[in-house]
Amino acid sequence: MPRKVAVVAGGLSYFSKSRRDKTQEELAAEAARMALFDNDINLSKDEIDGTIVSYFSDHFENQLLFGSIIQDYLGFNPKPSVRIEGGGATGGLAVRDAYAHVASGLLDVAMVIGFEKMSEVNTAKGNEFIALASDTDWDFPIGGFYSGYYALMARRHMEEFGTTEEQMAMVAVKNRNNAQHNKFAQTNPKMNPYGMKDGGKITMDDVLKSPYVAFPLKRLDICLMSDGAAVLILASEEKAKKITDTPIWITGTGAGTDAMRAGDRPRTVAGVPMLPHEKKEWYRKLEYPGVHSFRAGRESARQAYNMAGITNPLKQLDLIELHDAYTSSEIQTYEDLGLTKYGQGGKLIEEGITALDGDLPVNPSGGLIGTMHAVGATGVMQGVEMFWQLQGVAGKFHGSDKTQIKNAERGLIHSHAGTGTYVTATIMER
Amino acid sequence: MTEVYSIDPLIINTPYEITYKHSYGKTTKFFTSLSSGKLTATRCDHCKKTFLPPRSDCPYCLAETRWVEISGKGTIHTFSTLYFSGERFLKDLPFQLVYVDLEGVDTLFLTRLKTKDMKKVKVGMKIKMKISREPEWRSSDVWAEPDE
Repeated sequence: MPRKVAVVAGGLSYFSKSRRDKTQEELAAEAARMALFDNDINLSKDEIDGTIVSYFSDHFENQLLFGSIIQDYLGFNPKPSVRIEGGGATGGLAVRDAYAHVASGLLDVAMVIGFEKMSEVNTAKGNEFIALASDTDWDFPIGGFYSGYYALMARRHMEEFGTTEEQMAMVAVKNRNNAQHNKFAQTNPKMNPYGMKDGGKITMDDVLKSPYVAFPLKRLDICLMSDGAAVLILASEEKAKKITDTPIWITGTGAGTDAMRAGDRPRTVAGVPMLPHEKKEWYRKLEYPGVHSFRAGRESARQAYNMAGITNPLKQLDLIELHDAYTSSEIQTYEDLGLTKYGQGGKLIEEGITALDGDLPVNPSGGLIGTMHAVGATGVMQGVEMFWQLQGVAGKFHGSDKTQIKNAERGLIHSHAGTGTYVTATIMER
Repeated sequence: MTEVYSIDPLIINTPYEITYKHSYGKTTKFFTSLSSGKLTATRCDHCKKTFLPPRSDCPYCLAETRWVEISGKGTIHTFSTLYFSGERFLKDLPFQLVYVDLEGVDTLFLTRLKTKDMKKVKVGMKIKMKISREPEWRSSDVWAEPDE
């Protein structure tokens, strides 16, 4: 039997397009210090038994085995450490791996250290590095650029289900404006000393009039590239109860995968893996997953819900931190997570269900569009955000009470790589 | 000599160049067939699936696949016009990406669409694949054009 596992502390660095003021290891220390000293815990650094180090690309700093530098810099030698990498889902996989380490008894207290420093190369080169996480024999040479791949998927979602550019813009407005109450957010120049100068609130008009990057995706439909770090501490039940009066339990986790080349995915009629609340007749004619849906996301959610005993996610979840690499992929993911029927994701944002004051807020932190996408830190940041939300201390850390979801008891963090290549879903509960 | 980009914090420029000897392995035949004007894919007779990009081994049953010639005709499954890209393709902007649904192929194929009239492009539009006469030995040696 796996042991019960809790999250007991979290910390973030400020996120920015460029944190030239610090090295990558110094950024990790910024987040680790917050995790250890700014949470209400009874835990010394020496009680941490090992680390899970989470970063995406060796190219961004031209340094292999960076995990060892982090382990040394933060003073954890000679304890065990492992590096996790899985594209955009690196952070989610790292949280899941830390869960496995603690649940199995390998570690009693584990620190997850996520970071990325993407600013040492120019933006087009950075996009090229990200695109190297697509098939370099077949997809990359065509014009390798992730926004292009997501644009193709978004356009097919529009064709299949009638999703609109306006609905996508609503996601951008929601996430970007949520970030204006989060001091860590890159787009929040009022609260973040390293925030982008042209950040701040945006309107539907701003999004719809922003230039196309890859039709139908515009500049403001697309997530940030960031420097920064996030740290999460997990503990066994016995340890957690000594460390804090308010541990947040990990009650479910799932991971799914799909073909690196999205075009290789099947288009199986009535092929949707069902969630408990769904009916087969909803999808009798739907070709699945094709390039319009993320089968890996559905599979990760199915496992996590099953483990946590969730049979109706819209009712049983209080908030979600969702990997909004693109506004379109947030809409697609609503459907994969079973918050609404396949094809109705656009309606969900339109109805305000996922707004900060909606029935099921999605990305109260600001997500990847409003707050950060320092790839290896991203999934870990979601864990930190969910931990603070479920402890009821998000306002204290964000520097504004507006983002705190009242009486939040259960939430989901969703981490997503490639064109939906690796996806994780993890359930956290008070 | 090291180029200094900034004094405080100290930032230096560090260039990095590398050449890989990259093998296409058994999918080499896709590229050699192109030079005789043939577009090929691989087929698993057991699973009755045809793959493009070619796979030498069937992902469903792990049997070895065989080469088949395909017509190169098909339709647009989805499309996008790119106005920004990774560094390597900035010189090509703007260009159109499409997934094409090709006759006799079970997978969708990512390629560029070359057309004079981008506004006419829509899902379901008929295309045919073209083969470059000056091969670069990359997947970009083929592309789609409207089949009018």
